[in-house]
Amino acid sequence: MNQLECSRDEEDQEETECHQDNSDGINNNNNNNRRKTVCPGVGEHPLQYNYTFWYSRRTPSRPASSQSYEQNIRQIGSVASVEQFWRFYSHLVRPGDLSGHSDFHLFKEGIKPMWEDDSNRSGGKWIIRLRKGLASRFWENIILAMMGEQFMVGEEICGAVVSIRFQEDILSIWNRTSNDQTTTSRIRDTLRRVLNLPANTIMEYKTHNDSLRDNSSFRNTKISL
Amino acid sequence: MSTDCKKTTATDIPSTRRVSINDAAHMPLDYSTTPGGTLFSTTPGGTRIIYDRKFLLGCRSSPVAKTPPRGLPKIPGVTSPPSKDTDEKAHNGELPNNVTAPDGSNTGDDSQFEIDI
Repeated sequence: MNQLECSRDEEDQEETECHQDNSDGINNNNNNNRRKTVCPGVGEHPLQYNYTFWYSRRTPSRPASSQSYEQNIRQIGSVASVEQFWRFYSHLVRPGDLSGHSDFHLFKEGIKPMWEDDSNRSGGKWIIRLRKGLASRFWENIILAMMGEQFMVGEEICGAVVSIRFQEDILSIWNRTSNDQTTTSRIRDTLRRVLNLPANTIMEYKTHNDSLRDNSSFRNTKISL
Repeated sequence: MSTDCKKTTATDIPSTRRVSINDAAHMPLDYSTTPGGTLFSTTPGGTRIIYDRKFLLGCRSSPVAKTPPRGLPKIPGVTSPPSKDTDEKAHNGELPNNVTAPDGSNTGDDSQFEIDI
């Protein structure tokens, strides 16, 4: 679905092309609509969907608001193949290395990692809290599973996030339809499998509507055992 | 006794899928995997491209996957600019992603030990 509008001119470029010009340091994340799609290079292994890397950081003293959130996230680049993914991923620090209140997001191209995005309006996310030291490995495994289509929930997956916080780190996976129990159960079970979670791991689900209401990502979740 | 042969438009259920390989380099190193992904699964609505973790990790070592991406923004502490120095270690001892860590987290082991989180 993503690849239909791909410009064939990009085939001889091996790199992904991020059409957003972020060099001025100011985020203009509103122009998702006129996006140029990236293509797998010749001989590369295509992904089922294109994905975009995002990074965000918040100074804790600054109050969170939708507007400030949108200004604090920025795109890093988009990928259409396994090889393109590794190119970007190899040039990013591991999440465990990030300082402060930071997040990496890997979302399907065209979906902003924001509650208000059309694809996320009716959605929600599973979250797993990790003690310090585990984020890098778990992040890698969750994104490999996502890009490799291990979740088997059709179009439901929107993206994944790793959130580095003061005393714990949090892994999230976002899906489109929060009240689709078949989907959310399958995602939960897949997470247990691909992350090899201990049997008593607490997993929490939160709808984005709830997050919007209490303006919080990780509080007041529904606990699933 | 004559058999009554009727022409039918039925065909066999396709059991194989042809993938053309023009270059020996495209063949997977593993006999148990197939080019283009480990599983060919036909789902309602078409075929989905599925890769398992082991396969994805295997692609990491191809030279095509190592060149620095064009347009990578410079964000200090987040993006590591293209550098030949692969021994760079970050502050707290975690290696940047472009170094293969010897700690086994990159080995394609499916039997990850359970960890207490």
